[in-house]
Amino acid sequence: MTSVITSVCLLNYKDDSNLLVIVIDTNPFEWEHPSAPLKLNLALKHILAFMNAHLAGRHDNRLAVIASHVGASKFLYPTLNEPTPGSKVQTKKDANVYQVFKVVNDAVLTGIAKLLQDPRPTLEEKDLGSSKIAASLSLGLCYINQALKSDGMGHVKPRILVLTVSPDSSSDYIPIMNCIFSAQKANIPIDVCKIWGEDAVFLQQAAHITEGIYMRPDDPRGLLQTLMFSFLPDMFSRSYLHLPGQDEVDFRAACFCHKRIVDIGFVCSVCLSIFCSFSPVCSTCRTKFAFQPLLPSARRLGAKAGASNPGSPRPSSSSTPSAS
Amino acid sequence: MGKHTEQREQKAEATTFMATNGRRQVEKDDDDFVDVDDSSLQTNQANYAWEEEYKRSWDVLQEDEHGSLAGVVNSLQKAAKRKRQLRDTDPIQRGIIRHLFILIDLSNAMQEKDLRPSRLSLTFTYLEAFIAEYFDQNPISQIGLIGTKDGLAEKLTELSGNPTDHIKALKMKKFMETGGEPSLQNALELARNSLIHVPAHGSREILVIMGSLTTTDPGNIHDTIARLMQDNIRASVIALAAEVQVLKFLSTQTKGTFGVAMNEGHYRDLLFEVIPPTAITTTKASANLVQMGFPARCNDSAATLCACHGKLTLGGYKCPQCGSKLCDIPTECDICNLTLVSSPLLARSYHHLFPVENFVEVPWKDAAMTTACFSCQKTFLSPHKVSVQLQSTTDAGRYQCKLCEKTFCTDCDVFIHDVLHNCPGCLSQPRRRAGGVIA
Ligand SMILES: [Zn+2]
Ligand SMILES: [Zn+2]
Ligand SMILES: [Zn+2]
Ligand SMILES: [Zn+2]
Ligand SMILES: [Zn+2]
Ligand SMILES: [Zn+2]
Repeated sequence: MTSVITSVCLLNYKDDSNLLVIVIDTNPFEWEHPSAPLKLNLALKHILAFMNAHLAGRHDNRLAVIASHVGASKFLYPTLNEPTPGSKVQTKKDANVYQVFKVVNDAVLTGIAKLLQDPRPTLEEKDLGSSKIAASLSLGLCYINQALKSDGMGHVKPRILVLTVSPDSSSDYIPIMNCIFSAQKANIPIDVCKIWGEDAVFLQQAAHITEGIYMRPDDPRGLLQTLMFSFLPDMFSRSYLHLPGQDEVDFRAACFCHKRIVDIGFVCSVCLSIFCSFSPVCSTCRTKFAFQPLLPSARRLGAKAGASNPGSPRPSSSSTPSAS
Repeated sequence: MGKHTEQREQKAEATTFMATNGRRQVEKDDDDFVDVDDSSLQTNQANYAWEEEYKRSWDVLQEDEHGSLAGVVNSLQKAAKRKRQLRDTDPIQRGIIRHLFILIDLSNAMQEKDLRPSRLSLTFTYLEAFIAEYFDQNPISQIGLIGTKDGLAEKLTELSGNPTDHIKALKMKKFMETGGEPSLQNALELARNSLIHVPAHGSREILVIMGSLTTTDPGNIHDTIARLMQDNIRASVIALAAEVQVLKFLSTQTKGTFGVAMNEGHYRDLLFEVIPPTAITTTKASANLVQMGFPARCNDSAATLCACHGKLTLGGYKCPQCGSKLCDIPTECDICNLTLVSSPLLARSYHHLFPVENFVEVPWKDAAMTTACFSCQKTFLSPHKVSVQLQSTTDAGRYQCKLCEKTFCTDCDVFIHDVLHNCPGCLSQPRRRAGGVIA
């Protein structure tokens, strides 16, 4: 308890504003599934309360909200026609609500309502993947990049929070990895709250690599509590708190050929593509492999290489008999 | 390791190589002793930091006829962008599993202060950054460091894939002491002895950083160069003083690169050119599929024995094939010999394979169609607010992805191609079946 209090005090000394980018997974197939423990509109109430808490934490805290839908990913706040918070607002004023909260809440609610009104994505798209987490992360990183650029003083401390319900979409493996590494390079933690369901392997890796928090709440109906206690503290206060860690991190990858998640795979030594079974040609870089079990073909390949390249070498390969 | 050093301990007669400067190519002879002719160095145009003319960077900026700097700034930006657009976006074969030895000259010549603060300390500072960036781009590659002074060569670090080991070694005071003459041959042979044992599917490379114009060798260096060629070892050289014939010969014979550092910035550029994985040239026959495991990290509540050291430890990585626990990855499982790597390490290099297509510039006449950047929400400058004259000298600051037809600002364009390697527009679209064409 004391640690919490000191952190709050220190927070007041530290002069930095937090930019929180929230990615909300709005995949209707998961939210409207009969077995879903929480409905989207109820979850949104929790999320809006959390957003307001973030904005209330400091006068210059900033927020961006991105929806990750099936087949689309778009900004909910700030939106194109309403670029900056605090600028002129078209919405009707409500004397009982803090204006900043109202702008955010309205923008998010109308944005999501618009997304859900759009013709439902066909089932085929659902089969091909879940929601557009990789796209939303890319958007968020671009937004943060711009925000850091325009903030000359280096005061803005960005972080990303992903609220997801969808299972991993393995076709997103490479884009998600690219996002993770650019976030890691820029020191942007990616927090992940998997509201229910199986662990999301790639997002788990994202949180692990960028030193964010990965959590699966015990009871999704208590979402607000999880959000407030685990994801509200900024990076500065986190060093004083004991936040949930990850006991087990799954480092599995998706194979390039079938997008299947594998724990043992064949890796092309030229381009490092991962395949789930042996094939004579790498589909990514078109390298033909010396297939050792079939000796004749291996010898033929070797002979060809020797002929085209007389100066080099049989001796080198014979000096390393235990190669590969 | 001690054996290697001893082998090379016999000193030979000092051999000095002529520094040539383009026009004067002196035939290299091992037994000849040639003085370095300083006068020939100065004949060339300003190649060295101390020969450069005093430059006033503000003179480069010139106002246009309307007294505005916008046009100039814009053309400078364009120039920078053009440099980026030269990038090859074709996926090509690159040797991503690399084995590199860095030979560092630790002779007295490294104390020279023509590169500030001195050749030696600048080298060590740059190498630290180099190693971090190298492992960033070549995640499952290995580096080893070799120092040479007093006619001897010594391994500072063994070939390993752990950046912290190398950086720690670079920070150690004892490795920063200089003395005597370097021995190129001893150092090359030491590196060769380690490199011939690496698996055939990885590359074998040597990077020589040489401050001295002379080397003290026990035998004929041409024999060593021939052996390097035979073993498919590529040697690149960065000379800090001048172009030395034997160093250039070494790099051309082994298909490496050669460069003379003219000033601090140029030195850094030369060094960092070594980092991107080299395009595969001759080693196609040795390419293969390597079976690898991607273990999960586990945290047991009770300590268990690890398979690698036989010690009781708490956390570790579980081999997906045999289930034994190992302390650290990347490694080879001690029980079933499966190569264990962390898949994120592999994924670090995937952007080389699937680069983002270059965006095309949107001309001013089409600029009114878009109002804001798709990815960062920044509003564009409206073409109605920019005078026609200014439009002719500037670009609209909008760049369009040909695939998804979304428009991005300059900042995002650079960020997407240089850092992120994802097009947010393409990713945000409904997924097509693999290979599908966007209608
Ligand atoms: Zn597969
Ligand atoms: Zn390949
Ligand atoms: Zn161990
Ligand atoms: Zn094993
Ligand atoms: Zn932008
Ligand atoms: Zn695109």
